[in-house]
Amino acid sequence: MRFLLALSRLIDRLNAWVGQTVYWMVLAAVLVSSGNAVVRYIFDYSSNGWLELQWYLYTSFFLIGAGYTLLRNEHVRIDIINSRLSPRARAWIDLLGGIFFLLPMALLIMTLAWPVFTESYALHETSPNANGLLRWPVKLMIPAGFFLLALQGVSEIIKRAAFLMNLIPDPTPHHRHGADELVAHDLVEGDGR
Amino acid sequence: MSALIIANIGPLMFAMLIILLMIGYPVAFSLSANGLLFGAIAIHYGLLGPELIQALPQRIFGIMSNDTLLAIPFFTFMGLILERSGMAEDLLDTIGQMFGPIRGGLAYAVVFVGALLAATTGVVAASVISMGLISLPIMLRYGYDRRVAAGVIAASGTLAQIIPPSLVLIVMADQLGRSVGDMYQGAFIPGLGLAALYAVWVFIISIIRPHLMPALPLEAIRVRESTGKAGYASLVIVVAIAAAAAYALTDYEILHPIWACALVGGAAYVAALADRYLNLHILSLLARQVVIVMMPPLALIFLVLGTIFLGIATPTEGGAMGSAGALILAFANRRLDLKLMKQAMDTTAKLSSFVMFILVGSTVFSLVFRGVNGDLWVESLLIGLPGGQIGFLIVVNTLAFVLAFFLDFFELAFIIVPLLGPVAAKLGIDLIWFGVLLGVNMQTSFMHPPFGYALFYLRSVAPKEEYTDRVTGKRLAPLTTGQIYWGVIPFVIIQVIMVGIVIAFPQMVTGVLDKGTGINPSSIHFEAPPPPDTNPPPNFR
Repeated sequence: MRFLLALSRLIDRLNAWVGQTVYWMVLAAVLVSSGNAVVRYIFDYSSNGWLELQWYLYTSFFLIGAGYTLLRNEHVRIDIINSRLSPRARAWIDLLGGIFFLLPMALLIMTLAWPVFTESYALHETSPNANGLLRWPVKLMIPAGFFLLALQGVSEIIKRAAFLMNLIPDPTPHHRHGADELVAHDLVEGDGR
Repeated sequence: MSALIIANIGPLMFAMLIILLMIGYPVAFSLSANGLLFGAIAIHYGLLGPELIQALPQRIFGIMSNDTLLAIPFFTFMGLILERSGMAEDLLDTIGQMFGPIRGGLAYAVVFVGALLAATTGVVAASVISMGLISLPIMLRYGYDRRVAAGVIAASGTLAQIIPPSLVLIVMADQLGRSVGDMYQGAFIPGLGLAALYAVWVFIISIIRPHLMPALPLEAIRVRESTGKAGYASLVIVVAIAAAAAYALTDYEILHPIWACALVGGAAYVAALADRYLNLHILSLLARQVVIVMMPPLALIFLVLGTIFLGIATPTEGGAMGSAGALILAFANRRLDLKLMKQAMDTTAKLSSFVMFILVGSTVFSLVFRGVNGDLWVESLLIGLPGGQIGFLIVVNTLAFVLAFFLDFFELAFIIVPLLGPVAAKLGIDLIWFGVLLGVNMQTSFMHPPFGYALFYLRSVAPKEEYTDRVTGKRLAPLTTGQIYWGVIPFVIIQVIMVGIVIAFPQMVTGVLDKGTGINPSSIHFEAPPPPDTNPPPNFR
């Protein structure tokens, strides 16, 4: 178990690093997208490559950041019942959910998406739009994102199991229900006000 | 046994979904696990071929390359930065000074600023928190009834849900297969109508219960002339000149109305700045200040909505430009630092991730659900409702209203709306009308006690204990949760009335779309053609 917990810590560190790296793509996407509109209006020039870059960047943070989001327990839940359960019951739900819901799904999609990437890579597939971008980097993001998600799933399972074996305190970060509560949390607590 | 499963696989799948969701495991994964489980069952019984599951990466690729959904992180990021930029403080302060001397003035200021913030960004939490932090203490200080103050702030904050550019409308447009521009135009009149109804309600209370919302005392009015005059005349003249100029420019067809407003607004701003820095004293202090604080929000509205309606930008690019504008504003006000920036990006990335994963999950679910004809089952349940269109709308709105207490609107939009949309279309319901109606409805759930989220946000920033007022030094009682709940009830009633009005008069929504105002929102789609390898929207036919 000690080995597994060390593995879990390693995964947590990896996904924290990944998440805090890819979130810069938010800023990059803002700049690229607003730049596209301005350049098109002023210079009457537009390029499909730059338009596609917008959603390449978007994908890089929402998909690659999925594991990080799980680490922070921000994948939204319906918590009318969940919030009334004991920490142990919740840990059981996360443990079983991780094993039976998350892992099979993430591994299946990862496996299905891998050949889609390799094919695209082998063919040097580019976007069918004029001046479009190479496709394989964004197709790689599907297996990569689901791999990181599955990895984080493993880490969460280890942590829940360790908690249920009374080896560690409750590892679950507080869950914010939904989009607006996440924003509210950021605004209220983030400033320390 | 197997015959029973085969015959009822749609309803079984739906029942299982409800059970799995209620357990409280993340929605995105419960949705997709349920989809895969029933996919396997259906394949086992030969109801579906395995190619349906093999198509999943292609579906996910379709979600990734959906330009419309890219607006979600942009508007979130914009809301987060804007709340910290100091814009709301300046606005509430100056508009409060403007309306302050009249009875109920601060309440009008909250409604007005609430609508203005709603038109710049689409995040309810940001609006409620801004106004709860800034206006609530002032209202309590000057003797506003606590319930009235809480109600007006919570309700005005939720306007962000329905006044464009709101995230709800973007997601609704995407899921109903309509253009975001049309959805925005359709939501304008109901959104502004709600703000107007709130103001009417404030007016009614100020007449029948004047002591609940006193005018600001003289010592609280800082923005006034040295002669002691308030300076309204000057403000009225400035506004009249600006309106006349904008009207003339439009009427002689020199400029598009949006450009005319932008030009006139810019000119007024320059005049106000000149008045301030050259000490011209042509304008009253009040007029000058109002023009100056109104400029950032109006500029943002132009950047976001103006460019969308002019056809310069797609709604997604509008969101990006709004974010850039908010960054510039926060930087200019010296509020932007690395920590804030990182925090906003972090929140935006996590929010986008969970939202998009709900969509991935609901795509897996609906792929299988449709494969086993579950959609036909839902249709048969809903299409036979008595009362045709109206019966359907009443049932659906009641359902959405109740569900919105427990579900985030992204969950509602991604799970429920794709099931309802086709039925609505079949009943001959205009989908823009339908989307706007659901938008107003979900806004109501946002402020309905005891689950409404707006109430939580207000609670989180309102004083929980007795405190000493910063200005008067008096001890003030906390705002109780009961006061918040009672305070919003009149506004919930206004909302329900509005839902009724929108159902009764669809022209409110659709009338705007048919009128050829020279704005053609569909034209924006020619500028950024979707990549041909994109799948059709996966959740809708």
